[in-house]
Amino acid sequence: MSALLEVRGLAKRFASRAGREPSPWIIQNLSFSVNEGEFLTIIGPSGGGKTTLLNMIAQIDCASDGEIRFQSQIAPVNDLKALKPGLDCKIGYVTQEDNLLPWRTCIDNVLFPLQVQGKLNDETKARAQNLIRAVGLAGWENHYPHELSGGMRKRTSLIRTLVYDPPVILMDEPFGALDAQTRLQLQDDLLRLWNLGRKTIVFVTHDIAEAIALGDRAIVLTRQPSQVAGEHRITIPRPRDIRGIMTHPEFVDLYQRIRAQVQ
Amino acid sequence: MADTALTFDESAARNRRIIIRVGQIALAVGLIWIWKIGSQTAGELFFADPFKVWDRLIAITLSGELWMHTYETLRISFVGFVLGCFFGVLLPFVLRRMPRLTDAIEPYIMASVGVPKYALIPLFILWFGIQDAPKLWLIGLLVFYPVFIAIFAGIRGVDGRLINMARIAGASEARINREVIWYALLPFFFSGLKIALPRAVSAAIIGEFLVGNKGIGYYIEHSRQQMDVTGAFTGIVVAIALVLIVNSALTYIDKRLNAWRPTDRHMAV
Repeated sequence: MSALLEVRGLAKRFASRAGREPSPWIIQNLSFSVNEGEFLTIIGPSGGGKTTLLNMIAQIDCASDGEIRFQSQIAPVNDLKALKPGLDCKIGYVTQEDNLLPWRTCIDNVLFPLQVQGKLNDETKARAQNLIRAVGLAGWENHYPHELSGGMRKRTSLIRTLVYDPPVILMDEPFGALDAQTRLQLQDDLLRLWNLGRKTIVFVTHDIAEAIALGDRAIVLTRQPSQVAGEHRITIPRPRDIRGIMTHPEFVDLYQRIRAQVQ
Repeated sequence: MADTALTFDESAARNRRIIIRVGQIALAVGLIWIWKIGSQTAGELFFADPFKVWDRLIAITLSGELWMHTYETLRISFVGFVLGCFFGVLLPFVLRRMPRLTDAIEPYIMASVGVPKYALIPLFILWFGIQDAPKLWLIGLLVFYPVFIAIFAGIRGVDGRLINMARIAGASEARINREVIWYALLPFFFSGLKIALPRAVSAAIIGEFLVGNKGIGYYIEHSRQQMDVTGAFTGIVVAIALVLIVNSALTYIDKRLNAWRPTDRHMAV
């Protein structure tokens, strides 16, 4: 396995505005890499710059220093205008808020990336329908986001990214705001979908159990400014049973070790 | 049980609608009655009789005069409206790309809102002659401002997270304008239109008072000059009806286009 995505000595602070100092360093000297086909989870305290990290990888925000390399492309540093959001659709991003377009129905939200990429055809439409069925949204296609529950909106936003099949998908606490039951169901859905395609996923969360249950490898971040505090390989065999995994001996052991590292 | 509750709610709502409708009709009858009393008190030379206005309305409908004047007023309002809308929508989109220019000219634009447009009519006639042009300038300007202000405020309010989402999904800037910003603006656009469209018709009528020999405004003013108070009143009734029709058409389109908005559903009962 080769490193598909590499982060080296990354640092970030927000630029100064008129009459104000620049913000303190949010991320400093952060390095890690992601292999192709790997499910990497990143655990960090809230307010620890996790979202900022993903924003920089997705190129909707700029690093202040360091290097983010995807394949052979290096993201621009300190140059907002040179950013290429999503790197020509190679990096998908499931944000913390679902960011659905409120004037589009569920299915039209899912088709949005295909439509703007000019890839809307019978084949991709069938793919969208399959995804809708796979996450249990059948029958809700023609409803507007405000008519859907939080879990259904989350599913819609998840498959909106899966539908155009980007090689890397970033996920920012996508299940953070959901109740425990819906959350388990969605984690289960995600693992099932991932097993079919084995995309490269970078999944950010503050929930240790979620990080272990989903990932191949977990990285623990420190408090601000964020650095890597620890790295853990997770060898619990797949396919995993998301509801029974808590009793797996490796899970219990990892949980203790990661718990000790999260400040 | 749920079914009974639902039927009860529905029939209560229907009853309420019927009561409101009956009240509206009663109010209309009352207003016409007051109008009749008014015309008897003030004399028909000052205040036309409602039944004579009705007769006149029938007469000019049959003679084709009504259609000719209505068509002229609608035509000039429509052209002026389209012109004002075009620039009112285009300019904020252009300014969006030029934040520094926007900051520089914003105070001037906002100051020019306060200029009384109707006061410019004599100048428009001086500059643009006595054909359609002065009327189009007046209507265009009156439409431009509410549309421009609504769209301008709307563009600033568009959720940046939706735009980022669209960029990551591979949308070009033109696509983002069309698929994200435009739809986010539609409610603002319609609130601008609700002010602009009736204004366009009123401005056309006022323009016709002064320029031209066709249109409802011309009919009102011409009748007044002939001491034909009934004719003037008839013109006014037609003008009111026109604005009401235009407004309800707009409300209908707004409901269709903006059906996705949650408030519409929750407020309707």
